[in-house]
Amino acid sequence: MKHMLKIVVTGSFAAGKTQFIRSISDIDVVDTDFKTTTNEERGLKSETTVALDFGTIVITPSLKLYLFGTPGQVRFDYMWEELATGCIGYVVLVDSCRPAYFAETQHLMHRFTEITPAPFVVAANKQDDPAALPPMYVRRRLGIPAEIPVLPCVASERSSVKLVLISLLKHITSYGATSDAEDNVVDDAPSSHASSA
Amino acid sequence: MALEGSLEDMSLSDLFQVFRMGPKTGVLLLYNRHERGVIYVNQGLLVDAFVVSGPERKVVASKDEAVLYMLDWTTAGFIFRHDPSVVGRAVQIKHDAEWLVLENMRRHTSPQTAVPYRKVTLDTRLQLSPIPSNTESQVSLGVDQWRILSHAANHQTVREICAETTMPEDKAIRIVAELLAIGLIDVSSAIAPPTKATATSNSRPDPSHPDARQSAPPVGRSLLSAILRRVSEL
Repeated sequence: MKHMLKIVVTGSFAAGKTQFIRSISDIDVVDTDFKTTTNEERGLKSETTVALDFGTIVITPSLKLYLFGTPGQVRFDYMWEELATGCIGYVVLVDSCRPAYFAETQHLMHRFTEITPAPFVVAANKQDDPAALPPMYVRRRLGIPAEIPVLPCVASERSSVKLVLISLLKHITSYGATSDAEDNVVDDAPSSHASSA
Repeated sequence: MALEGSLEDMSLSDLFQVFRMGPKTGVLLLYNRHERGVIYVNQGLLVDAFVVSGPERKVVASKDEAVLYMLDWTTAGFIFRHDPSVVGRAVQIKHDAEWLVLENMRRHTSPQTAVPYRKVTLDTRLQLSPIPSNTESQVSLGVDQWRILSHAANHQTVREICAETTMPEDKAIRIVAELLAIGLIDVSSAIAPPTKATATSNSRPDPSHPDARQSAPPVGRSLLSAILRRVSEL
């Protein structure tokens, strides 16, 4: 029996969602990128996600972690609800070099907390730029309470994306969104992936 | 690669706080329709600044006065680029950023324009700023500023502070804006964290419940542990 779990990667336009999933996915990311239409968007990137990005991480032969990236622009927000339904947690990516998108990110976070009760972490992307805003300032500007992790992130670096996902998984565990019972899916289908420390 | 935006999205006083937090070294360029301003930042400290106007680039202000001049701008664009060469630049600015921000606010009747995205009302709930400062400030606070600061530590609203201190509301709002601008206090978080789940392995969403479709599925601990191990291996 095949099982899947879903994590959603969201954030404003050009925050780095597609790159984030590309950096960690086991498969070539399925994307729905089309050419950007407005001058402002063209100034930042030539293509943008209009429906979703999709990547996977194989956990065991019978279990996959699905990563869904949402489109960033508010005009595609009808997709957010569909993508967020049933997710175990989500990552909010923030462009640490573009404060112009902070208001949009706040709107997006409010919308997501309405859509899903799943725990989330915030990843302050583009921290490889020495001019980038520090995660602490991002937390302050977005009004993120201390209980929610705000992490430094470089979406183009696999190790950085990995740390964000690990933090999200630990955050999910700490928020009690898990059961105490052992899960047969993993125990019945042990693999080298699942059994190694 | 640079930090880019508009002062409507991020005020100059906030930029100064970020420079101190880094601490950052580089050049901040500000521009509006007719003028250009440059501020040199070394390890979070403002070391030099000037403003030029028009195509002939006539110098309008320099050093401390240039920073005060630019603190009046509310709609200019900005670009901050990391630039290690600023380290060797001679220090021309006498006062630190906090002093300059407060001095600018003292000269104006509407200090709230310094932080346009943090609207201060009587219902604004305050807290002490979590942002650490790496350099010692030269600013000395007045008695009323200290009174507001001490009440902000208790997460009180501006209205509650006015009631306890008998401070006039307009004065309290003005002082709150000043303390916000220099990064000593902050507005309390607006986003509530998700409530802790009480799901068990046997719990299933009630399909008749309107929220059932939105609920996150309960996930086994062993399942999460397996995912954690796998992601750690990547």
